[in-house]
Amino acid sequence: MSEQLKFNSDAEAFQQKRLFRFRLYFAYGFVLLLFAFLIGRMAHLQWYNFEQYHGLAEGNRISVETLPPTRGKIYDRNHILLADNQPVYALSMIREKMEDIHAFELELMNLLEGSDPEKIEAYFKKFRKWNRSKSYTLPFSVSEEQAARFSVISYKFPGVTLTARLKRVYPHKSTAVHALGYVGRINTKELKKLNEQEYLGTNIIGKAGIERFYEDRLHGSPGVQQIETNARGRILRKLETLPATPGEDIHLTLDIELQKYAESLFKDKVGAMIALDPQNGEVLAFASMPTFNPNLFVDGIDQKNYSRLLNDPYRPFINRAINGQYPPGSTIKPFVALGAIENDYISPTKKIYDPGYFDFAGHRYRDWKRTGHGLVDLNAAIAQSCDTYFYELSLAMGVDAIHDTMSPFGFGEKTNIDIIGESKGILPSQQWKMETKGKPWYRGETIISSIGQGYNLTTPLQLAKATAILANRGKIIQPHLLKDELKDSSSSQVAIKKISNWDSVIQGMVDVMHGKKGTARRHGKDLPFKVAGKTGTAQVFSLNQGKYNADELAKRLHDHSLFIGFAPVDNPKIAVAVIVENGGSGSKTAAPMAVNLMKHYLEEKLTDTTTQLESKP
Amino acid sequence: MKLENIQPQQVYRRNKGLLNALHIDGWLLLGLLLLLATSIAIVYSASGGDEAVTTRHVIRIGIALVLMILFAQIPPNIIYLFTPWLFAAGILMLIAVILFGDVGKGAQRWLDLGVVKFQPSELMKLVLPITVAWLFAHSQFPPSFKRLFSGALIIALTASLIVVQPDLGTSLLIAMSGLFVLFFAGLPWKVILAAITATVASAPIAWHFMHAYQKQRVLTFLNPETDPLGSGYHIIQSKIAIGSGGIEGKGFLGSTQAHLDFLPESTTDFIFSVLSEEFGLLGVITLLTLYSAVIARGLYIASQAQDNFTRLIAASLSMTLFVYIFVNIGMVSGLLPVVGLPLPLISYGGSSMITLMISFGILMSIHTHKRLLTD
Repeated sequence: MSEQLKFNSDAEAFQQKRLFRFRLYFAYGFVLLLFAFLIGRMAHLQWYNFEQYHGLAEGNRISVETLPPTRGKIYDRNHILLADNQPVYALSMIREKMEDIHAFELELMNLLEGSDPEKIEAYFKKFRKWNRSKSYTLPFSVSEEQAARFSVISYKFPGVTLTARLKRVYPHKSTAVHALGYVGRINTKELKKLNEQEYLGTNIIGKAGIERFYEDRLHGSPGVQQIETNARGRILRKLETLPATPGEDIHLTLDIELQKYAESLFKDKVGAMIALDPQNGEVLAFASMPTFNPNLFVDGIDQKNYSRLLNDPYRPFINRAINGQYPPGSTIKPFVALGAIENDYISPTKKIYDPGYFDFAGHRYRDWKRTGHGLVDLNAAIAQSCDTYFYELSLAMGVDAIHDTMSPFGFGEKTNIDIIGESKGILPSQQWKMETKGKPWYRGETIISSIGQGYNLTTPLQLAKATAILANRGKIIQPHLLKDELKDSSSSQVAIKKISNWDSVIQGMVDVMHGKKGTARRHGKDLPFKVAGKTGTAQVFSLNQGKYNADELAKRLHDHSLFIGFAPVDNPKIAVAVIVENGGSGSKTAAPMAVNLMKHYLEEKLTDTTTQLESKP
Repeated sequence: MKLENIQPQQVYRRNKGLLNALHIDGWLLLGLLLLLATSIAIVYSASGGDEAVTTRHVIRIGIALVLMILFAQIPPNIIYLFTPWLFAAGILMLIAVILFGDVGKGAQRWLDLGVVKFQPSELMKLVLPITVAWLFAHSQFPPSFKRLFSGALIIALTASLIVVQPDLGTSLLIAMSGLFVLFFAGLPWKVILAAITATVASAPIAWHFMHAYQKQRVLTFLNPETDPLGSGYHIIQSKIAIGSGGIEGKGFLGSTQAHLDFLPESTTDFIFSVLSEEFGLLGVITLLTLYSAVIARGLYIASQAQDNFTRLIAASLSMTLFVYIFVNIGMVSGLLPVVGLPLPLISYGGSSMITLMISFGILMSIHTHKRLLTD
């Protein structure tokens, strides 16, 4: 019985195998049939039609060449050129077509006296191993004169061509580099993202700033050109051409002359300075110091320069205007004050006594003025930057009320300026602390928050934007660098119940500059226009509320010096925010810089429209 | 006669040679080495004598050969045990590609594993036929309708996950490798005929769902001369390269079409055109003879395999190689639309070479891991 079964299964296995083998033969027959078919096709092309294709290959003379677009130029608001394209010369070689590579190598060492002969030798060593039929561009710069000298003897060197191309040039060098950005070689990461068709023949792309943000507009699109060549690839003539569409020229809101002045005010100090037109959010000056020369990046920066910049202790690559996050210090006091009187935590005329310190929960919070300011109202608290007033006020308000007051001014969120990679800063609240630190808020933290210390962090651009909104008495603006068709004018407004509250706060800021006891009164006197400002001094280093002696501390631990302000008060034309890292007190360092910038900017305007800006006594 | 066939496999000569110790099939290795040597020469020529490119190519071939030998060491029963897991992992990775894949040139095909980038569809080229073979490992011949249906379902699932990447070409080729298993497992002729009829009839519907670039490829294929400077350019230039090679060719390094940059992708998809231009019709016939010898050896291994699982894998992998060759040559000679597929074992390029050599490793393993006595 079991034998019978086994026999059956063997018979089945046999049957199975037979069928399988049949299908194998069938499949192989199919393979041979189709291979024969392919050979038939090849015979058709290579034998039957050989003459035709042979002729086509010999006469294969039409090839397509890409014409890269010219990158759009960038101008400042007064049509001064900030980013230009200039012709540069380069030599390229095709190994296959060269007769004597060595002779050209020697000629080149002679021609390019500026270049290191060893580098030329090293390049040629590599070149001899590369694709013999491809064209390689020599990585050595060729001046106009050298190009002219070469063109005279070029007949001796077949396979070597002199080409001219346009190179991005930043005529103002390092000025405004953090706003303008720069272009550089396309890297592999960028290559993956971009549309290859659009970048045929182009090897640069906007890497930072405006050059990056408006890449699409600046780039343009390539054209195509048919060229007729002989069988050895020499160009005989140009046939049809579809010209490239050049990139769009753009104008910025920057005033490059003001920008230069702003940067010069820093001397060798580190920090950032933003000037906005408060009426429309146009960025007039955008300084982040120190700077670097963007021209270094255009053809790829060399290792030596790159590591020098990268290892610079003052980090020139950091865009401090949008990525520097600093404690705002006392510059937030006008905003806190506005929230307090708006929500009736205090009346503007109510006076608080400042003995020079404020005690809370067994801890003594000191005022910057050790002897105290005595009895101060809101105006004096802003003008003299009285800490104690705000310590006491903040406890009544609580951190969330401060947060809600400042949030509409744009603190703690991106300004959405047209530069990529902006930082948000921090505007603390109970919820924020619970979410990020997982801990509840302590009231003591509210006290230091009220004078812009603790968790508070702002970027200089955020401060400038908030100042502009204050100057506008609540009209919210969008800071932007592109001078363009007007941005939507549907401006929103910081909601406020009592219009006079603006006056109370702004008067406090006017008295900072022009009041008898104002913290920056030294810089406010004898000005032909009225300024509203606020100084700030942000602690970098916790001194345990002990005695502060600037001389004893290393410079890196000095306080940051801050100032915000706008002018003229009655018809604001410029809003400024300045931060000088480790600059000491706000009134000493940042305030005079801002005032000088305002003066510089408004002097032209004053001479233009004298009557309009006559300030009241 | 009958008895001899009923007997399980003839007892094999077990040579004590190095090749046997390494589980390598000498004939298959010989064919592969000849093809790979050709490949190095053509890549050198097509790249315009670029030593850096050629060196990279040689290194990849070396890696691929090592992988082939490694896979030849894995006995088929181990593969059998792991098949369901491999399939599950492959499907999960295909889903991951759809969800988190890297987008390159308009299609998500890559999975970034942090250290390496990985193309799961490449893995599926091997895993799918193995999985379908696994399904038929113990089935009768001809198999039940239910089993054929579940095989078809597995193929459809895999193919549809790849087609949405979107990668129509690869998806069709992978489906093909699974369908070969069904064919060798004994799919009834009636069903095969019906399927072919249905495919032809549904072509207009498929057209409707194609991406613009796929439609463009088909249109250009049908009439390349309408767009001589756009996508038809490749095919025209490729045909000129092949045709101008004539019977004897222009000689090694003599391709003007590739060297003057008329021929696109000359080291990868269009490398066959360079070979045809330099070695002519005789070179083409030699190459196809070499290929058919390798395929014949693969099918022979299938015929000698001891069980359903291994014979189905061996047959399917050999036929898949054939399809790749046919599609590539058909494409560059203007018989088929341009689908962007390398010429197996000849084209420059990493991942497809690796997958192919692993499949040869599996073939060798099937041939060299035999039980001397069967039950």
